[in-house]
Amino acid sequence: MSDKKSWASHLRPLIVLGIISLLIGGLFFPFLITGVGQAFFPHQANGDLVQLNGRTVGSYYIDNGFTSPVFFHARNESTCGCSGVDPDITPQQAYSQIPGISSATGITNSTLTSIVNDNEEGTFWIFGSPYVNVLNLNLILIREYPSVYTNYTK
Amino acid sequence: MISGIEIFDIALLLVVLVITSWYVAEYIVRVFERRSSRLDKIFNPIENLIYKVSGVDTNHGMGWKEYAFAALLINIVQMALAAFIFMNQAILPLNPQHFSDLSWHLTFMQVISFATNTNLQHYAGEATLSYLSQMSAVQFLQFTSAGTGVCVAIAMVRGFKKGSKDLGNFYVDFVRSLTRVLIPLCFIAAVFMLAAGVPQTLSGYTTVTTVQGATQTVLAGPVASLVSIMQIGTNGGGYYGANSAYPLENPTALTDVAQIFLMLLLPTALCFVFGKMIGKEKESRPIFIGAYLLFAIDLAIAFIPNPINEGPGIETRFGGFMSTFWTVVTTAVTTGSVNSSLYGMHPFAIIAAFMGMFIQATPGGKGVGLMYMIMYVILTVFIVGLMSGRTPEYLGMKITGRDVKLVMVAFLVHPLIIIIPTLVAYASGAAAAIGVTGDANGFTQVLYEFTSAAANNGSDFLGTTANTPFWNVATGIVMFLGRYAPIIILLALAGAMIDRKRIEGTAAALKTESFTFSLVLVASIIVLVVLTFFPFLALGPILGFFQGHINFFGP
Repeated sequence: MSDKKSWASHLRPLIVLGIISLLIGGLFFPFLITGVGQAFFPHQANGDLVQLNGRTVGSYYIDNGFTSPVFFHARNESTCGCSGVDPDITPQQAYSQIPGISSATGITNSTLTSIVNDNEEGTFWIFGSPYVNVLNLNLILIREYPSVYTNYTK
Repeated sequence: MISGIEIFDIALLLVVLVITSWYVAEYIVRVFERRSSRLDKIFNPIENLIYKVSGVDTNHGMGWKEYAFAALLINIVQMALAAFIFMNQAILPLNPQHFSDLSWHLTFMQVISFATNTNLQHYAGEATLSYLSQMSAVQFLQFTSAGTGVCVAIAMVRGFKKGSKDLGNFYVDFVRSLTRVLIPLCFIAAVFMLAAGVPQTLSGYTTVTTVQGATQTVLAGPVASLVSIMQIGTNGGGYYGANSAYPLENPTALTDVAQIFLMLLLPTALCFVFGKMIGKEKESRPIFIGAYLLFAIDLAIAFIPNPINEGPGIETRFGGFMSTFWTVVTTAVTTGSVNSSLYGMHPFAIIAAFMGMFIQATPGGKGVGLMYMIMYVILTVFIVGLMSGRTPEYLGMKITGRDVKLVMVAFLVHPLIIIIPTLVAYASGAAAAIGVTGDANGFTQVLYEFTSAAANNGSDFLGTTANTPFWNVATGIVMFLGRYAPIIILLALAGAMIDRKRIEGTAAALKTESFTFSLVLVASIIVLVVLTFFPFLALGPILGFFQGHINFFGP
């Protein structure tokens, strides 16, 4: 390392290997995963898009921005500092919204409660704590009660 | 407080982790000792082509100076390549959202940030970076910094291995770290993430009309490939500004547990690599036990508050327990990814996070965590030697005055590059200029910024508000010194171990593989770190706690 020749001998590996590492990590790998994703997991790879009557209405994992009293609502305050698009609420938060939805739609409390209970997610075996996806719940409501949700079925 | 079932969750995860890491460690040792393998048929032709094109003499062994020189210089070449992409992304391909080029100071900060394995981010990716920048600048540097970290750790271990003639060949190590370790592991992880709901597309954002008729943009991109390397490489820099709190980057409780597992995998495996590589598996004990006892202490501190972090800033799908556990893990391995807002964390959780970043070896970032723990071991051997009036020895080698000086310098770099810029930020008005208050919570935010930068961790409170010339340049310098100064010093230490005379098997020698030594190691790390940093914790999160804060929303 002391003589100039050996320092200079590093020039080629430094530059060429620098570029090769870009090709491997920065192009080959993400393109490979894009190929695998589009071929085998197209639904997930394209953002978990959800359809209603053939129309794409959003992503399953993104808060759809429900405000009407006939729907369950997510709780994304603008000051939360987190993702701000969390589509999930706890079952308790869902239960607390049920009386309001029931009086706005005429669907009974017990029906709404069982829809919430049947669609709990977030636990596998002993891990995690349960939550419900607001978009999922509301799409179930629209599909099961088209006469109540005529404004949203077109 | 933590419930019984939650303790069981953590224990089960760690048991699976330790078993998996043991096998990964075995594999890593085979890769870097260039033992023949069935995989040679696939990898040898590719690697030989790379060596040929780049003119690498694979039989050339490097001393510590040459190894450190090659590692530092190739990182600088890689930073330059990424900087070119960041500063020209507007005219380069794969920019469907037509994002403009990054400023010089943000580019300076971000290329250092990714190349040093820090991944502090003063931008929100979904609104700033083209697909090409996300892939060929961010993911690219995440791979190379992870590879470099593994290489320098392996080189250091070689210095302690009996009969080593040199520290190895950096270029060969680097190529093999990519082809045989990181790319295969990340492939498995990325496919898992894809199946579990993380997107991977280059088709641009999708604009949709929501159920209630509003317009919404679904921000999908090459996310799964980034998540795999950001966690496995303990990088932590997310695709989105909200990092792994953003649902498309971490959609479910399952992906959350998987990401925690991935970030712990290589740092834990490297604890075992040490013993396997030097041919004395028992010598991994103080490194592993030391790291995980300290990790357990961090967890205990974070879980003192009751209830644990259930307010704003927490994603519902993770809840308080998973968010707090993640916050401790991500700083214990200096990954720095987040699945909640740090603002939503109790001061105790933030103290635990600080401890991980102060110690940097619990088990620390992959590669450097092991280097730091070897440093602490030598320091402890020295302290014990002083107390018992014996010449300090490690692995049968006498520890010299020069060794201890190198270790002390490596140790002292860390507090200096945290404390000095924190003071400068307040004295120069730079903290006030971006709206940071002068109280306990404000001090915590500034201290956290520079601690995260110095520890090459990457989570922060300030985020995009710190995208100013002062904060970008200051954190850039801190990250650079925090990464390369200890690496160079500790490689120098390893270089000094080569050819050192060994007297093994003497009855009087300190038994570093004993559990007692692990306890002494933990105690000396706590004493050193707490004495160094306590005044700063006292001014920040401890004062905040006594003022009654339960999180960091508001002053």
